[in-house]
Amino acid sequence: MKVGMISFAHLHATSYASALLEMPWVEFVGIYDEDNDRAKEWASKLGVKHFEKLDDLLKTDIEAVIICSTNADHCHYTVKAAEAGKHVLVEKPIATTIEDANKMIETCKKNNVKLQIAFPVRYMPAVIEAKNIVQSGKLGRILAIKGTNHGSMPGGWFTEKDKAGGGAVMDHTVHVVDIIRWMFGFEFKEVYAEYDRLIHDIETDDCGLLTMELTNNVFATLDTSWNRPTAYPTWGDVTMTIVGTNGVLELDAYGQKFDIYNNDVKKAQWEHWGGNSDYFLVKDFLEACKNDTPVKVTGEDGLRALEVALAAYESGKKKMPVKIEDIR
Amino acid sequence: MKPGLKVGLIGGGTMGTAHAEAYRVIENAELVAVADLRPERAQAIATKTGATVRTASEIIADPNIDVIDVCLPTYLHRDYVVAAAEAGKHVFCEKPMARSLKEAEEMKAACEKAGVKLGIGHVVRFFPEYVRAYEKVKAGAVGDVAVVRCTRGGFPLPTAWQDWYANYELSGGLVLDMIIHDFDFLRWLLGPAERVFAKSTRGREYNRLEYALVTIKFKSGAIAHVEGSWVNGGGFHTRFEIAGSNGLIDYDSRKANPITVTVASKDGVPGVPVPASAWVENPYTTEIRNFINVLDGKEGTIVDGNEGYESLRIALAALESIETGKPVSL
Repeated sequence: MKVGMISFAHLHATSYASALLEMPWVEFVGIYDEDNDRAKEWASKLGVKHFEKLDDLLKTDIEAVIICSTNADHCHYTVKAAEAGKHVLVEKPIATTIEDANKMIETCKKNNVKLQIAFPVRYMPAVIEAKNIVQSGKLGRILAIKGTNHGSMPGGWFTEKDKAGGGAVMDHTVHVVDIIRWMFGFEFKEVYAEYDRLIHDIETDDCGLLTMELTNNVFATLDTSWNRPTAYPTWGDVTMTIVGTNGVLELDAYGQKFDIYNNDVKKAQWEHWGGNSDYFLVKDFLEACKNDTPVKVTGEDGLRALEVALAAYESGKKKMPVKIEDIR
Repeated sequence: MKPGLKVGLIGGGTMGTAHAEAYRVIENAELVAVADLRPERAQAIATKTGATVRTASEIIADPNIDVIDVCLPTYLHRDYVVAAAEAGKHVFCEKPMARSLKEAEEMKAACEKAGVKLGIGHVVRFFPEYVRAYEKVKAGAVGDVAVVRCTRGGFPLPTAWQDWYANYELSGGLVLDMIIHDFDFLRWLLGPAERVFAKSTRGREYNRLEYALVTIKFKSGAIAHVEGSWVNGGGFHTRFEIAGSNGLIDYDSRKANPITVTVASKDGVPGVPVPASAWVENPYTTEIRNFINVLDGKEGTIVDGNEGYESLRIALAALESIETGKPVSL
C-alpha cells in the first residue's frame, strides 16, 4: 500500500513517518511540504522522494496521505487530498473552525475517501485497559471526571493564533475530550473556561482550566496548561480521575515509566515504555483503508472535540458557561 | 497547675480531642475545663488532661478562664463564639468559621467589640509540607505562580455527632467543611480571589457521596483547581502542584511516606501496607501553640477572623456556583 505525507510542520510527522517505514506492507512514497527545504531534508533523512508540488504527490498512485501541517492548513490539504481520491489521516485538532471541519468531513464523504483524526491516546494500552475497566461496570455509575493534558510550551506556529487557532486550550482540549466520548459514550453539553497567558511571552493562552457538563448528569474538568518547565522530567501528561458510585479509577496514561538520572542532562527524565501509540494509530488507519472498514476516529469525532475547545474560548470571552449547541 | 493561660474547651469530638492533646504539650497554657453533650467524650478528655468536666455555660461564665476553644459543629460556632467574646474571653474556633457570612460577621464584630482575639483553625497553614511550599514559592522557586492544583480527600464521609456532616444545611458539605482548607491555603499563597466556578455531585447524587471540582481565578492572575472527595478513593490523601513561570512544585502525600509497615496477621495471611507519618510536631499542636503565643505576646500573627471570613467567602461562592451553574465574582 502506497502512502504519502503532507507537511512536516507538526512535530508528530516524524513519528508517523517512522511508523510507515516499520510496516513491511506499506510503501512510504514521499513528502510534500509547503516549506520545500523541510520536505527535502526529511525526504533525504527518511530515504523517500520529495515533491515540490502538492499535485505531483497527489497524482501518484498513493492511496492515503498523512497530514501534519499547521492546524489552519488541515482543511486546505484534506480537501485537495480527498478530491484526488486519497484517504486522509490528519493531525488533531481537525481544524481551527467548525466551517473548515464540516467542509473536510463533507468533501471526504463526497469523494468516498476515509477521514481519520490523529488521536493516538485511544491507542495507548493503559487507556484501552482503563476503558475495559470502566465498561466492566466495576466503578458503578460514573459521576465525575477530572482530566489533565499538561505540556511544555511547543513554540513555533503553535503560539500563532492564525495558524494554530488558539494556544494551550486549542492544543490540549481535544485529546481528553475525545477519550471521554470514546470511553463512556458521553457527549459534551456546556463548557466554562478560565484561561490566560501567564507563563510564556507568546501571543496565545498558555494556561487553561475547563469545566464541562456532560450528558448523563456527569461533570468534568480538564487542565490544558503548557506549564511543564524545561526542568520537568518529561514533555507533559495525560491523566484522568474517574469517579463512580462504586469506586475511583486513576489513569496516568504515561505512568509506565522509569526514571533516568544522567550527569550530562542535569535533570531527571521519565522514560515511558508503555507502547508506541503513534505506530498503532497509523497501522489501524491504513488497515481500515486496505480492508475498507470504518476508521476508529472519524471526522465527526474530531469536530465534537473541536467544538469543546471553541466553546472554551467563547466562555473565556463571556466569562460565562457556553452551551455547545450555541456555537454550532 | 501549669503557669500560663487557662483554657476551656467546648466540644470534645475529633478536633476537640486533637486540641486537648495540644494543650497537654504546650508550656504556656493549661486546659482546665471541657464540655461536651456526650459525658463520656468530655470525661475521656478530662481523664487524659486533668481538666474538669463542666457545661459550656459554666466554662464561659468562669472568670478564671482566659481562652475558649470552640470545637463544635459549624452551625453552632456563632452562638458560642459570640457568648465567649461577650464574657471577655479570647476565642479559638475550628474551621470553617461559620455556616454563613452573616454569622461570621457577627463573630468578628463581637470579638472586636470585646477587644478579644479570634483565631480560626485553618490548620493546613501549619502542616510542614504546605508551609515549606509557601516559603519556597515566596523565595522564587517557581517564579510567578500560574496554575495551582490541590486535592484533598479520598475517603467516605466521616460520621460524627448526630451525623451532622451529612446535613448540608448544618455543615455545608464537602466544599465548606473540607476543601476550605485548600481555599485558605491558596488565598494565603496567592492573595485575594476574583472569581469562582464549581461543580459538585451535590443534588445529583445521594448526600453521603460527594465529589467537587472548583476553579478559582485570583486577582494576581493565577488560576487554581481544587478537587475534594468524600468518595472512597484509597484513603485520605492530599496533593498540590504549583506551576509558575520558572518552575513547578509537585506534592502527593501518597508518595511522601517515610514509613510503610506491612505485618502478617497471626494466621499468616499477608497484611495490608499501612503508611505511618512521623511529625516533628503534630500540626494541630503547632497551630494551638501559635494562637497561645500570640496571646502571650511571643508571636505576631494568627489566622484571625478576617482570614477565616475571606476563606469562607470563597467556599460560599463555590456553593453558590454549584447551585446556579454560573461563575460567582467576589
